[in-house]
Amino acid sequence: MSPSANPYRPGRPAAHEAPPANTGLLVVAGVLLAIPVVALLLVNTYARKEPTLGGFPFFIWYQFLWVFLCSGFTYAAYRIVLIARPHVPMTEDGTAYLDGPSPTPTLEKEGDR
Amino acid sequence: MNTGINVVALIVLIVLFAVVAVMGFLASRWRRPTSMESLDEWGLGGRSFGTWVTWFLLGGDLYTAYTFVAVPAAMFSAGAVSGFFAVPYTIVLYPIIFVFMSRLWSVSHRHGYVTPADFVAGRHGSRGLSLAIAVTGFVATMPYIALQLVGIQAVLEVAGVGGGGNAFAADAPLFVAFILLAIYTYTSGLRAPAIIAFVKDILIYLVIIVAVIYLPSKFGGWAHIFDVAQAKGDASVAAARTSGKPAAFTFLPGGQQYWAYASLALGSAMALFMYPHSITATLSSKSRNTIRRNAAILPAYSFVLGLLALLGWIAIAAGTKPIGLNGKANPQLIIPQLFEDSFPAWFAGVAFAAIAIGALVPAAIMSIAAANTFTRNIYKEWIKPDATPKQEAQVSKIASLVVKAFALVFVLTMDKQNAINLQLLGGIWILQTFPSIVFSLYTRWFHRWGLLLGWAVGMIYGTVKAYGVASAATPHFGGSLAAIEGWGNLGYIAVTAFVLNVVVSVVATLVLRAVDAPAGTDVTIPADYFADEGDPRVVRLPATPAESTPSP
Repeated sequence: MSPSANPYRPGRPAAHEAPPANTGLLVVAGVLLAIPVVALLLVNTYARKEPTLGGFPFFIWYQFLWVFLCSGFTYAAYRIVLIARPHVPMTEDGTAYLDGPSPTPTLEKEGDR
Repeated sequence: MNTGINVVALIVLIVLFAVVAVMGFLASRWRRPTSMESLDEWGLGGRSFGTWVTWFLLGGDLYTAYTFVAVPAAMFSAGAVSGFFAVPYTIVLYPIIFVFMSRLWSVSHRHGYVTPADFVAGRHGSRGLSLAIAVTGFVATMPYIALQLVGIQAVLEVAGVGGGGNAFAADAPLFVAFILLAIYTYTSGLRAPAIIAFVKDILIYLVIIVAVIYLPSKFGGWAHIFDVAQAKGDASVAAARTSGKPAAFTFLPGGQQYWAYASLALGSAMALFMYPHSITATLSSKSRNTIRRNAAILPAYSFVLGLLALLGWIAIAAGTKPIGLNGKANPQLIIPQLFEDSFPAWFAGVAFAAIAIGALVPAAIMSIAAANTFTRNIYKEWIKPDATPKQEAQVSKIASLVVKAFALVFVLTMDKQNAINLQLLGGIWILQTFPSIVFSLYTRWFHRWGLLLGWAVGMIYGTVKAYGVASAATPHFGGSLAAIEGWGNLGYIAVTAFVLNVVVSVVATLVLRAVDAPAGTDVTIPADYFADEGDPRVVRLPATPAESTPSP
């Protein structure tokens, strides 16, 4: 079966590609999400006591700091993906997207069919 | 020390518990559904929860009573590597789930999936792979439910009830708590824990904030508390040097422990949203982006969890002695004991209630999720394929009772250590479903049999490795860390098994594709992974997907 055949409506193509997206912005969002993960997995960068802050070892307060940073990065990524790939409603039977204001004019794969 | 029953604390605990029970029963009237007789209503709260309800629900679901008991206990007895990793774990968790959970929400919305195994079945057309995912989820969840009871038991024991003596009288309070939980889960479904989560979270925040402001000043300030913890770490390292065994307590992770700490955080974060109860709470939200907004606001709980972890070190400075009613030391009692020693009786009661109620929310969601998994992926798939939605809901309700009864029997008749061991093992197992679920959200490149083989290899490797880990408390399944072959450093077994799982899946897929092994039918289309609230749902068709039935 070709990937774009519609199992529910044989012979009719289904809406088959992802809604159009701004790839550059998606990459930016991905980077924002990757930063906290990478930072916290590099344990050697923060497994030490100095400098302390209000009595708290660096190891402790640095990770607490990342709670807030990560929340901020994640929220920024959320705002960006909303812009990067706006929701496009589906038609009633789900076989196509409703024509509507589309931010990026054409689907790249449109010509393949 | 435990000297008899703490009457005031116990009364406060009982009153708050009763309030919560009443709320649980009234929950079925909340956003009153037209009918509770489908899994969408009973098991997913009508898929209607907005950002804030989901925040409370997920917070109540993920940060369980057992977490509140076990994380400070680990900090107290083993130090930062086994304890504080919970903080980076619950931070890196959110960027990870941000990426894939909304895709899972969308495809589940379109196709009416209730469990991850539903999705895998639809995506790969493979009953075998779907069954493997369902059974893994079910089995991994069971000891997790039992551990919530261990959390309640810890509180009751410090309050002076339970434990030794007359077996019936000792276990009666736990029994009553669980009967109540079982009944309101049965009648109200997922709406019950959603309502109770509000009370639980408010109590937890209140108790923790008071504790971290008041306790440090009482025990010499933060700098002193960290000095005491460091002294304990230094003493432990010195003792280890003379005895030749690894240090029992670590203040901060040393060079050999970096990967242990990082892999515990990463592996746990990847595993958490493979558990059926996390997915249930996510799918109950009403739109695709609810989970993404939540990924930005849920870290508030991680902050609280970090503070809570530090209570374990405060207990070291306070000289808290966690002695059980049987006279033996039990680090699991450290937090209730610290509260009882340091607070007036009534506030200790509030703290106990926060932990006990904190056990009810996840226990309810976990039993619902396990029941949904049984109903959808075992009962409907293998026993009664023509079950109606009403029958599905009925089977699920009964299954939720059975699951809870099993957990209760488990905790009452077997050593607590078994529940803890099995939960560690469950974490290793559940991560092995990650490739089948998450990779499949993006690609069908992986062959269904390849994924199944990878899963099997990961499960076996993880179980064997965990069996070989001994600790002071138990000869097998004593911990989550083992030396990695060919490297020697300690790492989280689940992550090592996961890497093996992926390698096997890739190699097997290459072979299977080369010999043209049949891939199953995929009933999803790319657009399904981007659907949102308001988009039409796929009308479920009987029999083979190739048969064309006119849509209404």
